[in-house]
Amino acid sequence: MRRSLILLAMFVMPTAFAAAQDKLPTENDYYKLHIFTIPEGEVLEGGALETLPGGKIALGTRRGDVWIIEKGLTDDPKDAVFTRFAHGMHEILGLAHKDGWLYVTQRCDVTRIKDSKGKGKADTFEVVTDGWEINGDYHEYAFGSRFDKSGNIWITLCLTGSFNSNSKFRGWGGKVTPDGKWVPTTSGVRSPGGVGFNAEGDAFYTDNQGPWNGPCGLKHLAVGGFVGHPDSFKWYKEPEAKYLGAAPLVPKSGGRMMVEAKKIPQLYPTCVIFPYGKMGQSAAGIDSDLSGGKFGPFDKQMFVGDQTHSTVMRVTLEKVQGKYQGACYPFRQGHSCGIVPVCFASDGSLIVGGTNRGWGSRGNKPFSVERLAWTGKVPFEIHEMKAEADGFTVNFTKPVDPKTAGEIASYKMETYTYIYQASYGSPEVDKTKPDITKVVVAADNKSARIWVSQLQEGHVHQLTAAGVRSGDGLPLLHNIAYYTLNYIPTAR
Amino acid sequence: MTFRLSRSTFIISLVASLTIAAPPALAGGEKKPMAPAVPGFARFYQNDQAKAAEGGHLLMGALNCMQCHLPKQPELVIDFRPAPILDTVATRVKTSYLREFLSDPQKAKPGTTMPNLFASLEADDKKAKVEALTHLLASTGLPQQMRPDGKGIVSGRDLYSKVGCVACHGTRNAKGDQDKLFATSVPLGNLKAKYHLAGLKAFLENPHQTRPLGRMPGILIGKEASDVAKYLLHGSTPGVSAHNMKYSYYEGAWKNLPDFAKLKPIATGEASDFDLGAARRTNNCALRFEGYLDIEKDGTYSFHVTSDDGSRLWIDDKLVVNNDGVHPPQLKSGNSKLTKGVHKIVVAVFNGGGGFELGVEFEGPGAGRQPLGPRILLSSEPAKVGVEPIGDEPLTPNAQLLAKGKELFGSMGCANCHQLPNEKKSLNATAFDALKGEGGCLDAAPKKGIPWYGLSTTQQTALRAAIQKPAAAITEPKDVIAFTMKHQNCYGCHERDKIGGVEIDVNPHFQATFKEWGDEARIPPSLTGAGAKLNAAYLKKILEQGSHDRPYMHTRMPRFGASAAILVALLDKADAAETNPKVAFADPLTKVKAAGRHMVGKQAFNCINCHNFGGVKTDGVQGIDMAIMAERVKKEWFHNYLINPTKYRAGTRMPSSFPDGTTLLKNVLDGKADTQIEAIWLYLADGKNAMLPVGLNKSSIPLIPINEAIIYRNFIQGAGTRAIGVGFPERAHLAFDANDIRLAMIWQGGFMDAKRHWTGRGEGAEAPMGDNILNLPAGVTFFVLAKDDEAWPTQKAKELGYKFKGYRLTDDQRPTFLYSFNEIKIEDTPNAFEAKGNPMIRRTFAISTDNPIDNLYYRAIVANQIDPEAQGGWYRINDTWRMRIEANAPPVIRKSAGKMELLVPIRFKGNDAKIVQEYQW
Repeated sequence: MRRSLILLAMFVMPTAFAAAQDKLPTENDYYKLHIFTIPEGEVLEGGALETLPGGKIALGTRRGDVWIIEKGLTDDPKDAVFTRFAHGMHEILGLAHKDGWLYVTQRCDVTRIKDSKGKGKADTFEVVTDGWEINGDYHEYAFGSRFDKSGNIWITLCLTGSFNSNSKFRGWGGKVTPDGKWVPTTSGVRSPGGVGFNAEGDAFYTDNQGPWNGPCGLKHLAVGGFVGHPDSFKWYKEPEAKYLGAAPLVPKSGGRMMVEAKKIPQLYPTCVIFPYGKMGQSAAGIDSDLSGGKFGPFDKQMFVGDQTHSTVMRVTLEKVQGKYQGACYPFRQGHSCGIVPVCFASDGSLIVGGTNRGWGSRGNKPFSVERLAWTGKVPFEIHEMKAEADGFTVNFTKPVDPKTAGEIASYKMETYTYIYQASYGSPEVDKTKPDITKVVVAADNKSARIWVSQLQEGHVHQLTAAGVRSGDGLPLLHNIAYYTLNYIPTAR
Repeated sequence: MTFRLSRSTFIISLVASLTIAAPPALAGGEKKPMAPAVPGFARFYQNDQAKAAEGGHLLMGALNCMQCHLPKQPELVIDFRPAPILDTVATRVKTSYLREFLSDPQKAKPGTTMPNLFASLEADDKKAKVEALTHLLASTGLPQQMRPDGKGIVSGRDLYSKVGCVACHGTRNAKGDQDKLFATSVPLGNLKAKYHLAGLKAFLENPHQTRPLGRMPGILIGKEASDVAKYLLHGSTPGVSAHNMKYSYYEGAWKNLPDFAKLKPIATGEASDFDLGAARRTNNCALRFEGYLDIEKDGTYSFHVTSDDGSRLWIDDKLVVNNDGVHPPQLKSGNSKLTKGVHKIVVAVFNGGGGFELGVEFEGPGAGRQPLGPRILLSSEPAKVGVEPIGDEPLTPNAQLLAKGKELFGSMGCANCHQLPNEKKSLNATAFDALKGEGGCLDAAPKKGIPWYGLSTTQQTALRAAIQKPAAAITEPKDVIAFTMKHQNCYGCHERDKIGGVEIDVNPHFQATFKEWGDEARIPPSLTGAGAKLNAAYLKKILEQGSHDRPYMHTRMPRFGASAAILVALLDKADAAETNPKVAFADPLTKVKAAGRHMVGKQAFNCINCHNFGGVKTDGVQGIDMAIMAERVKKEWFHNYLINPTKYRAGTRMPSSFPDGTTLLKNVLDGKADTQIEAIWLYLADGKNAMLPVGLNKSSIPLIPINEAIIYRNFIQGAGTRAIGVGFPERAHLAFDANDIRLAMIWQGGFMDAKRHWTGRGEGAEAPMGDNILNLPAGVTFFVLAKDDEAWPTQKAKELGYKFKGYRLTDDQRPTFLYSFNEIKIEDTPNAFEAKGNPMIRRTFAISTDNPIDNLYYRAIVANQIDPEAQGGWYRINDTWRMRIEANAPPVIRKSAGKMELLVPIRFKGNDAKIVQEYQW
């Protein structure tokens, strides 16, 4: 019986294939892009997003406005009503809602704003903290998160000119506590693009290619951590940072991050590298899908915008040797502008805000507000790539065709890493092409265990699964995944 | 006929004119016609008996006396003003008007300088002679036909009111008819009776062809002449009206367009092209326009409405564009499927406060996007635009009358003043040096065979004085210039050496594109020292050809033709040349010019913040194009002007980058003003070939507070990196420094230009867009002094225990800044208001604490000089601006660290205290 089924499958498949290849499904079949019409004459360069009660969305802009979007979650983006709630703030890159207040992270501070008279306009602007300095350099951005589970807002402060820390706490991440205290937690930040949380509620931010930062990546804001750029060390002596002790050892330029991490205990390696040019070029906003399935099969995964490529990427994380690391996957492209903030709305759709002012983007609109909504159809995707002591486990969103998924030839792997250096960026270096020695498809056809001849510590392991087909004969919607293998797990 | 200029030669004859002394009633109650209008006489001699002879001298030129009374002694010849050349008069002027004008010039054109030659003739005799001369003049050509249009009329009206026509001819109403004449205006008479459209257009295009020697200067360029002609003759062609729609006007305060059906209009009438001029005020009002659109092709048409505040557009009573609500200028569009034929169009707009704007455009099959106004028709009947009627009556010159006319033209003295081909002067009256100063033209009543000028009594007195005491020839250049300026009415626009200038009544009609720029932007410049300022070649060019070098000024320099060039040499002689030190450069010329370019650019003196350059417009006030600077002005003057602009141009907004002859840029070239100015000059000397200065090319994003305040948090020059700019609709603005927790500066005019921060990555700090920036003292504003003579602290606010807490906004977005100084809470509400048109700031402090203390002070100002005024709590600061303090304890002026400080003791009442401070600067 079993044999005949396989035979049948083999017999039927070529036909299904032919049909499928005529018109393969696209991203749009699974995640529809709804583009909002922005009020005429207005410029809404997306800087921050937050959900509000009643299905409303708040959008903070680079021009310093806060807009409220009502009726934004219907099938027709034309239903959306945009109303300006506040204006005159300084490059808003963070919004968080609590008890009727919107906490706005702007260049100079975190200010909470409120409409105390119920007139639809903010009339009260209260400084929560202004614990960092700004010197007038445009690069000294401040990105702010929504609230974490303890009521903190997490902040990342870009370096002066993106190279140096010339003002207090430039190049730091930290939190603003519920009583308004600024607590710097993490040094080494270079040029952040967004800050948010994983499903567990731990804080992460994206950082961008530059000095001491070979590729763009997702980094963890660990208390006492150091994430790469040492110019921020000068502020360890400040009263707010003293609790962290002495500054870490300055890393050696020109080495590798994992080599330095062994010498510098505080150095928390980049959790997920976004290989430059392959997975965007300017990592930006972060949010995690906590919708419980309303956004499709990627429950609890993280979504990250990219400004240059106008894309949304997908990220999975796991803890190995006590440190976060994981993989990234292409998810959705074709946004009309460079993506900066991303935010899951109450209905489980993903709102994204765009701007390409000052930094070009593939999407050629100067600004945009869009909504990605799941169509209800499950795409055939690599659900998650996880590290094993001797290879990887690859989960799929749908049952695979066990034959193609079980074939070594369906997979390809290459590895590389980046130079950890004071000068700008890095090419891919130390490239290897390990052999895939064995593949076993799980009994439920939902995953494949892959054995790799030689794993490389500190390398991106780029897996291509071009040959894998789903049970119904489709190729993967995106057949590639990039796992940042900082630490190799011990055998389970 | 030939023109002779007098020996002294310089005087250019002049614009006709007339005094508008109210016509005195004659004995019989009949109104005496207006005396000849001569602006120079009316302004400078009308009321000055002592200078009667001098005034008479001026009048003799204006009235051409010596064309008939040629003196025997040639040195007594006075420059005259040639009368209009009549070579082609019939192509311009209607024959009916010629007849009427010849019969009684003063009646046909009040204020004319043309005498009545038939004043006391028998009616039949007069009629025959007038007819003969009319036939002669009618033989000079045939009129052309021209098609008027409503759009031209509207544009012509705008031009007439703006470019300078009003300065000499007074204001005119919407129909193009005379409205208000000023004391020195030259009335235009009944233009509709006089001119054919093509004729008036031709005259306005090139007035010198008819009136030589700049008697009427040319001021209109290209199509403008045709538009102004259409406006002035508006209504003289049947079927053509500037009015192409009906309007209803309403008043009320609305947030959206009202239901007009339920309202009674305050006024109704006809309007042109959605012209908001029909509104009697610009706030709390609404206009509803109704007209018809003739669609030639079936199809979908788009309609675009830009308005401030709200508007709607209906076609055939169906709403097509909804742009309602209170908002700044905002564009909304809508489509409508229209069939061939006439459709009813209704556009309504309202305004709460602030700017009031309406622009309506449409596009569709075969019609590119264009203004809708000119396509609208008053009636649903397709309009039949008529061709201008040629006239009056066809007149075929009769040979016999023509011959008689020719004879009269010579014998009656017409040829003495007017040029007509082949006609010779044949009349010679008593020689000037034999005149007695009585009888003849000076008689009290018309006399047979004597020209009648209708002179006023003062004019007669002046002429008599001039005859009895012939003036010595004027030879001093400065006197010749002054006389010429009276003659040509240059003084109507320009002051020179404290003589002349725009008269009070006319003054409000001079306007600028930048209102807040004040007189400098709207009143033509003083000509004091013009000879030392302007290059001879350039001066010659603008006198002859006119200019519009000041784009912000609505009026322009008219062209007076070649004869005006005589003033060039005179000005050069009259005005002492500037001098300045010689400069030698260590660097090669290319480097010097590069330094010049750098200094003009954004990173240095930023001249281009206000000045255009090489035809590229600045986003600022559009100051004179710098690429014509070297062509325009003399180097020496430029040098000295840059060091001290206000010395040469009182009240100019031009800042000095070289205070007291030192430079603000120590690291350019040798760091000396003279060298730097020379380098700028050398760079500018390349004119339009000079490379554009750095920073000229970004488009502006001006933030304009209209109905509410605008908050602008960014890097503001002078207010730090945590600056909070606040722009108020009253056009006084401020920047609060939230880092140092103080009001950093206040200014007037434009608020902020966001282009620096809202384009590109937004590098750097931006200075206020406006001007008259008043920087307030650095340092904290409240402090507790242990002793009276304790120095005010110099530490940073945060080090002293200050905290910035944020701000509250009113419904119209006006802030109250909240900060604390240790246990003291301060609410600081700076607000703008207008007092007598001057934008001011009033700052109210509400101070509170749980633990009131005695020795808390507010430091209101630090200055070199603080002088209390007698009343009202006012202080004069540095002798340049004023400040008022309202507090419940008297402020203390003290000297500290070489400066003066005004300290206001804070006296708590319970836990609260209040201070008010006003800035008038």
